[in-house]
This record gives sequence, C-alpha cells and structure tokens, in this order.
Amino acid sequence: MKYLKTPLVIFVLLVIWQTAVILFKIPEYILPTPVSALEHLFLPQPDADYNWVMHIKATLLEIVLAFAVTSVAGISIAILLAWSDAIRRASMPLFVFINSLPIIAVAPLLLLWSGYGLKTNIIIAFLISFFPVVINTGTGLASIEEELLDLVKYLHGTKLQVFMKLRIPNSLPFIFTGLKICSTMCVVGAIVGEFIASDRGLGYIIINSQYTMDSPPIYAGLMLVSLFGVALFGLVSLAERLCIPWARPAGQEL
Amino acid sequence: MSEDRTPIISIRNVKKTYKTRNTELEALGDVSFDVFPGEFVSIVGPSGCGKTTLLKILAGLLPRTSGEIVVDPANFNIEREVGFVFQKPLLLHWRKVLDNVLLPIEILKIDRRSMVDKARSLLALVGLEGFEDRYPNELSGGMQQRVSIARALIHDPKLLLMDEPFGALDAITRERLNMELLQIWEKTKKTILFVTHGINEAVFLSDRVVVLTARPSRMAASLDIKLPRPRAQTVRTHPDFGRYALEIYKDLELS
Ligand SMILES: Nc1ncnc2c1ncn2[C@@H]1O[C@H](COP(=O)(O)OP(=O)(O)OP(=O)(O)O)[C@@H](O)[C@H]1O
Ligand SMILES: [Mg+2]
Repeated sequence: MKYLKTPLVIFVLLVIWQTAVILFKIPEYILPTPVSALEHLFLPQPDADYNWVMHIKATLLEIVLAFAVTSVAGISIAILLAWSDAIRRASMPLFVFINSLPIIAVAPLLLLWSGYGLKTNIIIAFLISFFPVVINTGTGLASIEEELLDLVKYLHGTKLQVFMKLRIPNSLPFIFTGLKICSTMCVVGAIVGEFIASDRGLGYIIINSQYTMDSPPIYAGLMLVSLFGVALFGLVSLAERLCIPWARPAGQEL
Repeated sequence: MSEDRTPIISIRNVKKTYKTRNTELEALGDVSFDVFPGEFVSIVGPSGCGKTTLLKILAGLLPRTSGEIVVDPANFNIEREVGFVFQKPLLLHWRKVLDNVLLPIEILKIDRRSMVDKARSLLALVGLEGFEDRYPNELSGGMQQRVSIARALIHDPKLLLMDEPFGALDAITRERLNMELLQIWEKTKKTILFVTHGINEAVFLSDRVVVLTARPSRMAASLDIKLPRPRAQTVRTHPDFGRYALEIYKDLELS
C-alpha cells in the first residue's frame, strides 16, 4: 500500500487533467490531453516527428554523466577546501561568484568556447548543480565534534587519518543531502543545456516543438524529464540508506 | 615502594595558564610527581582544579605553559604506548562497537586482522560479549564507557590515562567495573593514572593517591595506600581503609 500511494495520486491527477481538457474544450496547442501527449511517444518511428529513443538516450547520458562529474568534483572541492585554510580563504569567494552567475546568461559564452554537444551540456549542468554538494560536504567535514579529534591526536595520527577516519565518515549524511539536491538540479542543468547548446535530447524537443506550436511532444518531454528526476533522486536515497545504516532517525526519511 | 626504579613518567613543575581573549585562567599552579612502572596512581581534587588538563598535557593534547614531562625513553614510547579513557565515551557513531575498539590499531597502522580476536576478548573482558556488531547509539551510557575502555587497551599501552571513567555510572556498575579494572591491571601490569572524584574509589584501587588543591592547583598530598593486594570488596572493611579515606578528605578540605 505504501508504494502504491504515489502512483495512485499521479493517476488521479492525470484523469482530472484528461477530463478537464475534454470538458472545457481546451485547444490542443494550449493544453493537450495526457493521452495525446503520451501517444506521441508511441507513434510509429518513420511517422513521428522525433526519434524519441535517440533523444531519451542523449538526455539520460547527459544527466548521468553530469551527476557523476558534479558529485565527484563537488566532494573533492569540498575536501580540498576543508584540508587547507589558505585554499579555502583564497577560493571560496570564487565559488560563490560562479554560483551566483545566471548560468543561462553565460551559456552563449560556453557555446563559443566548447561548441555544441555533450561536453558543453555537462559543463552547464555542473555549474548549476555543484554548489549544494560543496556547501553540504563542507559543512559535514567541519561539523565534527572537537573532542573526537583527540582520539586520533593522542596517538599521533596524521591529518590524512583525521580525514579518513573522522571527518569524511562524519560528513556522509551531509554529502547525501548535497547529492539529493544535486540530483534534481543536474536534470534541470541538462535540459537547460539542451535548450541552448544541443541538437538532441528532450530539452531540444521541448524548445523545438515550441517553435512549431506542437504541444503534445512538449508535455511528453516534460513528463519524461520529471520521471528521470524522480528516478535519480530515488537512486541517491537508496544509496544513502545502504551506505549509512547508522544514521536513520526513525520516521524521518525523505 | 619504588625508590630504586626509574619513573615511567615524571611531572616536573608543570604549569598551565589558559589564555582567552581578555582573561587568563591559571589552572595548574605547579604540579610535580612521579609515576613508576606498574603503579596504580589516582588523582583526586576539587572540580575545575585541572585534572583533565593535566592528563591532556601528558597525552600531548594540550601544550603546557611551563615545566617538564620526562619519560624513560628506553622503556616507554609516549607517542604510541598511551591509552586514554576520556571523561565522555567519545565513540564514533558510524562505527560498530568492534570497529570502534579497533580505531587505535588503525591509527597506529598495525595489521588489523591480527587484532580482531584481541578486540573481541577485550569486549568480553568488559562484559560486552555479543555486542560487537551493534552501533554505539544502541548501547547504554555505561556500556559505551566500557567500549571506550576496551578501545584504550587494544594497542596494549604501557600507561593508561583514565579521566573519571566511571563518573557517570550507577553505583553497582561502578563497583563491578572497579573490580574488572583491577583484574585487568593485575593481569597486564599496566601503569594507570586514574582521575576520580570518589575518595573511596581512589583508596580501593590505588597504590598511591595524589591530592590536588583548588585552582591554581598544587599537590596537597601524596598518600601511599598500603592495603593488601589483590583487593576484593572485603578490603573496604580493613581498619586502614577508613583512615586513608579520612586523611584524603582532610587534605581536600584544607587545600
Ligand atoms: N579550553 C579551555 N579554555 C579556557 N579554560 C579552560 C579550558 N579548559 C579548561 N579550562 C579551565 O581550566 C580549569 C581546569 O579545567 P579541567 O577540565 O582540567 O578541570 P577538572 O579538574 O578536570 O574538573 P572536573 O573534575 O570538573 O572534570 C577549569 O577552571 C576550566 O574552566
Ligand atoms: Mg575533568
């Protein structure tokens, strides 16, 4: 029952949507019925305007790569910043600056530098989603109970041991919080990237269908995008549960 | 008892003044005493007199303001052969009990596999057989403190520093752990420096009790406890037991 609630809610919403469109005779270019949106996905290939399989593959690849790159880079940056005060003081303003740039406005520049395609897309997704990973991991690394450090210190352990044995394990719950935020922002980043710098992918379909006022594929694309977002978020949550079995406050799971 | 031996550690005129932004707090006034190999020495003193401070200075966790800590380098490596039981259990909540006990082994880069059996038997020694795979938050406060004792013993330290390890425990558990500690000490021939608020506890356990004055602390007295060993609960009815306790009480009062 627990796992059926969400699909049930979604199904009810779709039914309401379908009835409303038919009942109020809303023109298709404004709001198509969910059925006609989904139908578009299953049109026989030569007749369809889009090769959905190819576009889905492109978007999925971007999302997964962007997420992988951002996670690894974000966590590494945070560890580096926690390792050295000098590096942190010198570079933190830079990261805040990058994060506060409107990436959409910078995207044309990125396009000039690295051209159309996957690489530019991943860079855009990274720029949009790295900050929460860095900030959350950094908070986790810094939030170690001061007295625990004595455990390593009195046996003359190294700074590396302080990180490996204390700071990094202590920060895992924070890291996963960062990765969860990152997982949804990577999806946004990948789609934005496709708007600007791609000739394939669901973002490309959405922007292109808008020019031709063909709305069913837009809605089909949106549904798929949100599905990917939810799926990635779910995978990160699952990994969290497997990796940190000790940190499960009862009744407080996301 | 040990005039002819070299001390394992010598505390010589150690002073500690904490400096904060606009105040100075003189914690250790001038403390000197020796600890000999195999001795069980207790430190008693009023709250805030600097007992924790002194142990942390010995373990290299705090710098001293002046004075000297002298060790016998031929017999004692102060960097690797100290075990510390802190006032709080300080377990790593993401590690299971067994892995918590093995932490010093990892820090000292000793082969972990060869020590797992030892960790299990230490846990059994402190009465925690069967809890190896639990997480710390599944244990009571007393059980957590016992894990921290096993952890302090895993690397077979020559000097064991214990900072009110049983302070937060109920009387019954405390008595039991006192007996266990004596057994461990007799079996392993460790040197133990034991901080406590309990006068009776100090008399029951120790070869010698060092009494510190209130801040800035100095040594008020050093009292040899010549009660028979091995000690059982019955030693508490020994006629000298009460005399020793009273004497420590007076030293604390006067200081
Ligand atoms: N980091 C610190 N900065 C400033 N003052 C401190 C610091 N740590 C301890 N002190 C002060 O030094 C004095 C001695 O502290 P310490 O913790 O060594 O006392 P203690 O004898 O262990 O007390 P208790 O028996 O209550 O544990 C106290 O007055 C305390 O306020
Ligand atoms: Mg103390």
